[in-house]
Amino acid sequence: MDELTIAMPKGRIFEEAYELLVGAGYDLPKELDDSRKLIVEAPNEKFRFILAKPMDVPTYVEHGVADIGIAGKDVLLEHDRDVHELLDLGISACYIATAGLPDTEMDEVTPRIATKYPAVASHYYRSKGEQVEIIELNGSIELAPLIGLSDRIVDIVSTGRTLKDNGLVEYEKIADITSRLIANPVSYRLKQQRITELVDKLREQVER
Amino acid sequence: MTIEMFEKPLGMRDDFPLIAKQKADLKKQGTHLIEHGGYELLQTPTLEYYETIGKISAISDDALFKLLDNQGKTLVLRPDMTSPIARVAASKLLREKMPIRLGYYSNVFRAQKREGGRPAEFEQMGVELIGDDSLYADAEVISLAWDILKELGVGSARTVIGHTRLLELILADFGLDAEQSGKVRELFVAKNGVGVEQLAKKLPIPENKLASFLKLMQATTVADWKRWINEENEEQRELYHDMERLEGLLGRNGLGDAITFDISFSSHMTYYTGLVFEFYGAGSGFPLGSGGRYDGLMEQFGLQVGATGFGLRVDRLLESVTAEKTEQPHTLILFDEQSEQNAFDKAQQIRNSGKRVTLQYAPAVKALEPFTALFTEVITGEELHNG
Repeated sequence: MDELTIAMPKGRIFEEAYELLVGAGYDLPKELDDSRKLIVEAPNEKFRFILAKPMDVPTYVEHGVADIGIAGKDVLLEHDRDVHELLDLGISACYIATAGLPDTEMDEVTPRIATKYPAVASHYYRSKGEQVEIIELNGSIELAPLIGLSDRIVDIVSTGRTLKDNGLVEYEKIADITSRLIANPVSYRLKQQRITELVDKLREQVER
Repeated sequence: MTIEMFEKPLGMRDDFPLIAKQKADLKKQGTHLIEHGGYELLQTPTLEYYETIGKISAISDDALFKLLDNQGKTLVLRPDMTSPIARVAASKLLREKMPIRLGYYSNVFRAQKREGGRPAEFEQMGVELIGDDSLYADAEVISLAWDILKELGVGSARTVIGHTRLLELILADFGLDAEQSGKVRELFVAKNGVGVEQLAKKLPIPENKLASFLKLMQATTVADWKRWINEENEEQRELYHDMERLEGLLGRNGLGDAITFDISFSSHMTYYTGLVFEFYGAGSGFPLGSGGRYDGLMEQFGLQVGATGFGLRVDRLLESVTAEKTEQPHTLILFDEQSEQNAFDKAQQIRNSGKRVTLQYAPAVKALEPFTALFTEVITGEELHNG
């Protein structure tokens, strides 16, 4: 049996994905996430987990140092990586939307958009034919309209709590996001049987 | 003022001696097999017209390096070798000699958008068999590529084979028009299973055929393809029969277990019209090479002939090939004014016996120890004097 290296984002997505794998009948060690280790083995299944930053998962998979990985669709949209998107795991559902202060119009000449997803934001406004200036931030995007840095933000919305707490409202929805199982094109071919089997088992779990 | 040492255009690299040597060895092994397969090696210009090669090459426009010549015409650095070779083959000189077998080992240029480290210039080696539309031509080029991978020692090599035309016919049978099947193929190229499932819901595929449509990406053998073949369609029947024969031919050439027949396999290179294939191996996360039948490309040069070929990427082969670390004997002769003549004679003698020699004027070496450590044997002027 081929060993499979799986890149996983740390945190909430990891827990949900772990549940899915266990539910699909994979025999995984109990304490996978609560160590500070970056590489965890599941010898019974010949799995090796790489615990990575969510944004980096597609990078590991594209370069083939991980055979498969679990990545949010938001990351896949933002970084156009050469990976196969095999299955919608349906976990960590949320969406990307534009938001801003209530009852405000965007600046007429060049509105400014703060975001962690510059490529997604740029593509969205371009497809609407609007010229905007994209400001890339790494976190606490909600701050930008409050202190006058930007007219709108483009960010992930899951419950809407953060927006509400900061007095912001949602304007337009851009795309639905869930976590996806992705694979390296070469690994997919060299370990196709194992990967397909994994996809089938997970699909059963997802559809239940 | 000193010049900024590390500034190079995006994606350009220096090949240090070790890599240059590995590439030279790889070139020797590869081109040897290509020539022994009956192919003649050729070179085409680095610069081509944008209007011809640039547009025909199927490499996306923003990946082309463009420049202007002194008459204001747009030129490109050649982005692939298949289209220049098609141009050469269509020239009067070679037209009458069909079928022709041409091989190459050349650098090609593709501008990179991401990550400065990705190469924008890389070597490819491959062949084009032009003027033969038979199945045997396809089998020949696939087998040749396979022989090269084996000769180079690529681990767990695998090839995936699909058929552009057959896929087109099958998609049409699912009731898709050209635009819809184009969209499906785009998703197939990226093996975007999620995208295909989402798109399938919006396509006019009959309910009872949906499950069968979603299975298109899962075929691994020619026998798996049978379920989608419409027996009443003569072209489909014949193409399927061809695939069965190809499976037999390649099996005999030793590829049997190493092929995946995937009907959904498509290439982003839009000029492929029939068989398409790609090669993979352990050690590289990216495909090692690809190829296929491109009769349509020849038509653009005014020729109604079949053509097929493959190209392998040398940089990825290097990742996949476990480099032999056997140290070649390399002698250093350190000479001074007195021993100069003797040193020269000695060097000549060793070189004639087929070994490498470096002649170095000893006083010019500032740090003797680290320098002599690079060699397997050191002869000093004194030794030459006495012996």
